[in-house]
Amino acid sequence: MSLGAVTRLELRRLAVRPLAWAIAALTIAWLAWSFVLGLGQFLGAQVKLAGMADAPGFTDLVAIPLLAELAKLAFLVVPLMTMSLLAGERRTGTLALLASTGLAPWRIVVGKYLAVLLWLGLWLLATLAMPLLVGAESTADWGKLAAATLGTALLLATLAAIGVACSAATSFPAISAAMALIVTLVLWTVDRGAQAAGVSGGFLEWLTMATHLQNLLRGLVVSSDLIWFALAIALSLILATRRLGGDRERQ
Amino acid sequence: MSDAPLLNVTGLSRRRAGRAAVADVSFSLNRGEVLGLLGVNGAGKSTTLSMLAGALRPESGSITLDGRDFVADPGLARSLVGWLPEAAPLWPELSVDEHLLAFCRLRGATRAAARKAADTIIARLQLGDLRRRLAGVLSQGQRQRLGVACALVHEPALVILDEPANALDPVQIGELRKLIRERAAAGVAVILSTHVLGEVVAVCDRVAILHEGRLRHDAPLRDDAGGKTLEATFFGIATGAGA
Repeated sequence: MSLGAVTRLELRRLAVRPLAWAIAALTIAWLAWSFVLGLGQFLGAQVKLAGMADAPGFTDLVAIPLLAELAKLAFLVVPLMTMSLLAGERRTGTLALLASTGLAPWRIVVGKYLAVLLWLGLWLLATLAMPLLVGAESTADWGKLAAATLGTALLLATLAAIGVACSAATSFPAISAAMALIVTLVLWTVDRGAQAAGVSGGFLEWLTMATHLQNLLRGLVVSSDLIWFALAIALSLILATRRLGGDRERQ
Repeated sequence: MSDAPLLNVTGLSRRRAGRAAVADVSFSLNRGEVLGLLGVNGAGKSTTLSMLAGALRPESGSITLDGRDFVADPGLARSLVGWLPEAAPLWPELSVDEHLLAFCRLRGATRAAARKAADTIIARLQLGDLRRRLAGVLSQGQRQRLGVACALVHEPALVILDEPANALDPVQIGELRKLIRERAAAGVAVILSTHVLGEVVAVCDRVAILHEGRLRHDAPLRDDAGGKTLEATFFGIATGAGA
């Protein structure tokens, strides 16, 4: 029950803070503009596409690029949304107050994580509504769109977990946001060096977040990709919980 | 009601920033007793209170709360402890009402029970006019009253108040003293940390003086209506003359 209380408390705080609303409004406006441009290009290319065998459709040319655009924005948006979750509370002293209610650290971490996940879920839904509304009137590849949506949702959940872990590690929200951005970029590009050296496959490729998202955006649901996201989320939340538990020792 | 002390602290120690902030502090507290904790800045009062509230783990020593090991199970704080930290940290985005409901819900109360508890404490602390106001726009005194309300709203057995009279006007200080005595009469144990000797004389049954992390004095306050004896003891300890 108290897990739900932490989530509700965090949702309430998100709902009254201008940051969440400003981010939602600006990014959804940007995504809507991208969607309109993509749709226009898709409609303009209809004659050319009609002459091609196995031509890419609405899902490949409009819906999935929109989700990829959201994924790019998420690199900035998620650290901004998670930076104050624990770092800000530690700074103002309310984290110690939360801990003094007898809540276990994992409840605080997971409760806050669920709140930001819910916000990100609504953000994804608002974006997805655009291709869904148009796709319902056309011949969208629903299977591929579902896989791409799953991939984007897992990416958001992973970025949020990394953001929570970074927020748990410091008392400064700005440092937390910078840390989350850097960790995400490192995870995204960790195999660049190996690629440049002409080495493909191996542990570094498996470690790279992009590898796992790209499969899902192509419509391939592979269990090893799902496991990668699950491991990244679990590891981040465990680190956040351990750091929060350490506050009782460290302060 | 059991005769055993509600709180038993033995050999409590904690280092902070490389020095002993609290060293070998032992005392006990009965139900219905009000203990005043005095000390100069840096004496270790807030560190001691943080440990008693479950926000900080002692490096050594034990805290027994209602017969149970509080160090091993800080979850006991959930129903047994109410804490007002120094400077009353609050969430500026939440209203007075939302704070009180949240503190009840975080401690596991149902929605209906939380509503009832919040209404009761709002009425008792005369916060009715402020209930919809955000904590971020409250005056310092109003924030302090809300902090006290948050510490009391779930009716804990042990209430820990760190400088509760900060920024309160004389009328509000009088109300606070009345509230503390009222809770003590209902069997609640109260620890009151303050710099103001008069505060201790007015509401406490016992006084403990911390100096350089050590408990230097722990005695009942009897026959000291003017607080002269306490004042002499405190200044003696604080200046090293009476150590």
